[in-house]
Amino acid sequence: MEGKYVGQAVTRIDARSKVTGQALYPGDFVMEGMLYMKLLFAGRPHARVLRVDTEKAESLPGVVAVFTSRDVPFNEYGLQYPDQPVLVGPPGDPEAARQLVGGGIGRDEVRFVGDQIAAVVAESEEIAAQAVDLIAVEYEDLPVLSDPRDSLKPDAPQLHPKYPGVSYHPELVFEGNIASRHRIRRGDVDAAFAQAAVVVESEYEIPGQEHIFLQPEAGVGYVDDEGRVTVITSGQWAHEDRHQVAHALGLEEEQVRIIYPAIGGAFGGKEDLSVHIVLALAAWKLHRPVKLVWSRTESIIGHHKRHHVFARARWAAAADGTLLAAENYVIADAGGYVYTTNKVMGNLLLTCNGPYKIPNVKTDVLGVYTNNIPGGAFRGFGAPQGNFIAEAQMNKLAEALGMDPVELRLLNVVQGDDPMPWGKPLPDDARGLVDTLIAAAKAVGWQQTEQGWQAPACAPRPGDPPTLKRGVGLALGVKNVGFSFGYQENAWAAIELRGGREIEAAVVYAASSDVGQGTRTVIRQMAAEALNLPLELVTLEPTDTGITESSGSCSASRMTFMIGNAIKGAAEAALQKWADEDRPARAEYTYLAPKTTPIDRETGYGDPNFSYGYVTVATQIAVDTLTGQLYFPKMACANDVGQAINPRLLTGQIEGGVIQGLGWATTEHFIEKDGYPLTKTLSTYLVPTIVDIPDELEAIVIENPEPHGPWGARGMGEMPLIPVAAAVQAALHHAVGLWYDAFPFTTERVLRGLKLKE
Amino acid sequence: MESVTFTLNGVPRTVAVEPGLMLLDVLRDVLHLTGTKRGCDNGTCGACTVVVNGKAVKSCTFPLAKADGAEITTIEGLAQGEHLHPVQQALVDAGAIQCGFCTPGIVMDLYALFETQPDAPQQKIDNVLNRHLCRCTGYETIAEAAHLAQERIKETK
Repeated sequence: MEGKYVGQAVTRIDARSKVTGQALYPGDFVMEGMLYMKLLFAGRPHARVLRVDTEKAESLPGVVAVFTSRDVPFNEYGLQYPDQPVLVGPPGDPEAARQLVGGGIGRDEVRFVGDQIAAVVAESEEIAAQAVDLIAVEYEDLPVLSDPRDSLKPDAPQLHPKYPGVSYHPELVFEGNIASRHRIRRGDVDAAFAQAAVVVESEYEIPGQEHIFLQPEAGVGYVDDEGRVTVITSGQWAHEDRHQVAHALGLEEEQVRIIYPAIGGAFGGKEDLSVHIVLALAAWKLHRPVKLVWSRTESIIGHHKRHHVFARARWAAAADGTLLAAENYVIADAGGYVYTTNKVMGNLLLTCNGPYKIPNVKTDVLGVYTNNIPGGAFRGFGAPQGNFIAEAQMNKLAEALGMDPVELRLLNVVQGDDPMPWGKPLPDDARGLVDTLIAAAKAVGWQQTEQGWQAPACAPRPGDPPTLKRGVGLALGVKNVGFSFGYQENAWAAIELRGGREIEAAVVYAASSDVGQGTRTVIRQMAAEALNLPLELVTLEPTDTGITESSGSCSASRMTFMIGNAIKGAAEAALQKWADEDRPARAEYTYLAPKTTPIDRETGYGDPNFSYGYVTVATQIAVDTLTGQLYFPKMACANDVGQAINPRLLTGQIEGGVIQGLGWATTEHFIEKDGYPLTKTLSTYLVPTIVDIPDELEAIVIENPEPHGPWGARGMGEMPLIPVAAAVQAALHHAVGLWYDAFPFTTERVLRGLKLKE
Repeated sequence: MESVTFTLNGVPRTVAVEPGLMLLDVLRDVLHLTGTKRGCDNGTCGACTVVVNGKAVKSCTFPLAKADGAEITTIEGLAQGEHLHPVQQALVDAGAIQCGFCTPGIVMDLYALFETQPDAPQQKIDNVLNRHLCRCTGYETIAEAAHLAQERIKETK
């Protein structure tokens, strides 16, 4: 439903400040009397910290303080479960330590290279860095688990104590090194396999991925004029950051304040804390501003990655292509700590069977501790891995059946009341599945013939060298919008209308993290629309826990959906107050999304989500079989967005998401060996540059209104990335006749496959 | 201490700092011109690009000593009051800004290119943009912005 502002390509609120260098990012703040922090990272994957000697560091001129585990009041944190020490080492107060989860056992244990040991605060960054080198740590190295499959062996060392878990995360089982466990049991897969015409069985290795948001973690901590310990930093959910900081410092949440300025990208990589607690700790203890900026290498070592996944899949179909059974067994590398593993695995569970009618389903998904860098949130949140499994299986089944992959999907895709593997249909009519499939397929040359949909013949083009092979491929994707599994989704907004006879200004309060996607611009548009006011009259206050309630996380493609509904509610209430002659007329509103339920631990049955996004990526490929180089003449991404609030920002999300997916599929190879990351710089971890992108990238916007979305909008930020890898795999197969079941499809891997084929 | 004098955005400046610093360190940490960004430390990402004597350089690997006597332009020196430089305006108009952390570096590199070569061929523009990492946009809109800027600059020359 378009409006005066909804559906319009309004220029970003922050375009001018960003293009002139005036926008302030967390590392740009300078305060009177500011000190500088540097961290000592463990730099080893698994060890017990016996002793941390800070005496030499403390005596270096210019050093103000050195903080260790003894200084952290409540030495634990974690977005889903507090299994990570803030600073690793022996406890200061043994009584406080006993109150930590698991009785405080193992808080002196380093579990990945990025664990933090000490925080040095000094008059300059250089002095702080020198002092870090003067800290003497005595370690007892422990055996390293660097493969989650090894962590499952009976004789594997147990990396964490047996934690008690919590009722609201039943999937966090803490069985040995198994942090989380999910399953689906539906029908009888064995009986189905016995009568199937075609069975496709595969083993997949799906790589991790590093976010490479351009702005490495940074922040400034200080005590504000109301005595609150305050951190200006980047993150994705200011109120959750506040909660975790308060917990670790043993403070009330009201004593902690988090402010988000301009943020240089996140993509899930800033959902978990990085600099927040140590900055708050230092500012709280020293009562002086303290700044910490991570280098690129510190960022790569210090924050989580997309989960590296190992999967076995066995799917069966009848001769006419009807799916009969799907069996998936998935092991994901959770790394040293839980972070968001349990929820990422939940999404992987829901996506790894695709949006298809499958009467018999058996799925197991394990999130397993290792001594690698933790796995966690990254655009798609388990759906990209799940999608690769499902769509690779579908493309292989199409080949085995001699069917076109579009036809196979049309035959099996859920429609109307067809249940998903968890026993419930998708909550809307899910027309976006078929609509995006057809639109993307057509864009790269699929045609509808009398025999049904047919992939284009990919004959050599004039001028092609004989070593160049062409192909096409596609994949269909689905993912939830908003938080799942019984969490009552909510978002808060407030609007204050100022003026006398006429409204002269509307001030909007919302705690939404603008990580680059443009949420603050969209909020302003939606507020102007809901208030029926000129855009110029609407301003938006900063994201600051001191002046806002929680609007929830900028993740799960949820913010436009959730905050849009909150703004509609706040606008309506504020206009009513204005009519009642309140001056200023201020109203708050908390939107509650439709309820969801947890899924059953044994069967996976439940109603886990209230909204979904639908997407298809289709691509042409050209493979140079001499060099292994991949080219993409044309790629198309069709995305059902319900209603574009700002078409320009939305297309930017599609293009950026596809290229991030293309990087994951082709050039980005995050390598860890024995718990040590080998790709710690931008010159060894290769994200796409402008020469790596397709010659043509078509962003196709489809608008089937989402029944609960504001103005019909549905979440979309993650969707474009999700099917890219499976589409590339299929195109690669179409071109050279090989299924590459591990990626990234680097030139080396492509060539190796071709050599083996010969 | 090392004393270095240069013209920064049209204003003569002298800084006395520890030897061995890079130009980026001085811009950001000494002069507090934070529009120039640090995205890595080894000249890979391009976010720190500034213009020295008409040439785009990566200031994170540009020794301060080499800036002695130089004319330096940073992102803060490009707009004339409210009036954006055509390269800046083109990035705004093409919707080429998301998180914006790569933006200043791209602006400065395109600015230097079109100052010296308003007719720069596509290959040259691609080479310039290939020196910059952007993790948000997928580059489509940045390439569009470069074309738009070039057209507008050629019209005025």
